[in-house]
Amino acid sequence: MKTAYLTAAALLLVPALVAQDPARFAAPVRLEAGAKKLGAKSLGEGRLYPSPVLHDVNGDGLLDVVVGDLRGRITFALREKGTGAPHFAAEQKWMGADGKELDFHNW
Amino acid sequence: MSPQFVDFDADGTLDMVAGIFDGSPHLARGTDKGHAPPEQILDRDGARIVMNAMWDFDSKPPKWVEQTRCDPEGGMLQRGHITSAWAFDWDADGDLDLLLGDHDHGQVMLRRNEGKAGAPAFATRNEYVRVGEQPLVVKGTVTTLRTIDWDGDGLLDLLVGSMGDAYGGGEGGGVYVCRNAGAKGAPRFQPPTVLIEPSARGHKDAVRPDAGLYMDAADLDGDSDLDLVVGGYSTWTPEPPALDDMQKARVAELQKQIAGLDEESQRYFEALREATKGLDDEAYTKAYAEFQKGEAGTARSARQKRQQTLREELEPLVPGMKRQSFTWYYENLAK
Repeated sequence: MKTAYLTAAALLLVPALVAQDPARFAAPVRLEAGAKKLGAKSLGEGRLYPSPVLHDVNGDGLLDVVVGDLRGRITFALREKGTGAPHFAAEQKWMGADGKELDFHNW
Repeated sequence: MSPQFVDFDADGTLDMVAGIFDGSPHLARGTDKGHAPPEQILDRDGARIVMNAMWDFDSKPPKWVEQTRCDPEGGMLQRGHITSAWAFDWDADGDLDLLLGDHDHGQVMLRRNEGKAGAPAFATRNEYVRVGEQPLVVKGTVTTLRTIDWDGDGLLDLLVGSMGDAYGGGEGGGVYVCRNAGAKGAPRFQPPTVLIEPSARGHKDAVRPDAGLYMDAADLDGDSDLDLVVGGYSTWTPEPPALDDMQKARVAELQKQIAGLDEESQRYFEALREATKGLDDEAYTKAYAEFQKGEAGTARSARQKRQQTLREELEPLVPGMKRQSFTWYYENLAK
């Protein structure tokens, strides 16, 4: 797993964006992860309080989704290339330096 | 638990910072082989960073602890339990301070770093993050925090998600932004503006996150505005089917039987309370186990199975509330 070092900094330096007051959003769409042919799964479905974080996990310049949860476990889903609403590859467990699943031991 | 990717220890590798349910911020250090197991972020004296309530998991059995050593000057407004943390150079002095979110009452605190980048020395007390003169208190309590330049004025604003009524049908959670009208190194946050309205519930399908809204923001569709991804629980109650008279009679009978079992459950818990009244943690655990093994415990197991069977029969006739977690994409329509 290659960690991207520049993306987080780049996000903080994102060029001036349009002032949004009030903000307007389209109706929410459930995010999916995994190949549609194989039955894509709703991202974070069934997790205890899924907490998405946008982060370029593999350094390809696309923001992937990292999902934490109440139990303290982390998964990630790599963003697939394409325009419009984002789609992601299947979720994978986030492994730590010790080769075990990273665990924040929430309780 | 919402991890932040940030170079917390200033070694050139991204670490993860997260507040977790034990009531303290944690750090998983990035290494060239991946992230190390998480550790608590401690203050300059080596003590846990908490608000005035936390879980002590070192205690056997773990216990809830309330104390005042980290209270801000003037004390806390209410009980506070950290479950979210965000590293951010509040005072632009080159090191990362911590913003801390309260799961109990929605308070937001600052823990100032008096050290330097790579050698943190966190203060021993929290400070309130304020809106004007008043402490910032988020309606529905805090799920997660972000700093991001939402309005493009060059200053980092504060994004906050809220929990809302997590299990019931009361008002749900939302997402807010507090715009920063201060200056670099001297944030001055404005009152929260709604980005996603707290859910009013009453849906017949999963149409949005209703409770426990954890958000992040970025331009995901490349149109130069900030979209949101939001995790959370959807709650909905499907439209009930039309019932004939026989089905209606059966529904009434099932509901009567379930209500009767509920009353028996109430009596069980009253008896358990009586049997464990005034006991300390250790004695309680022992008495609870013995109570469970006895006649009341056996009857409870049978009752639970019977209730389950009755509810399964009732469900297609009178659908109950559904609750499931998902992650949602909110496309910003500003551009």
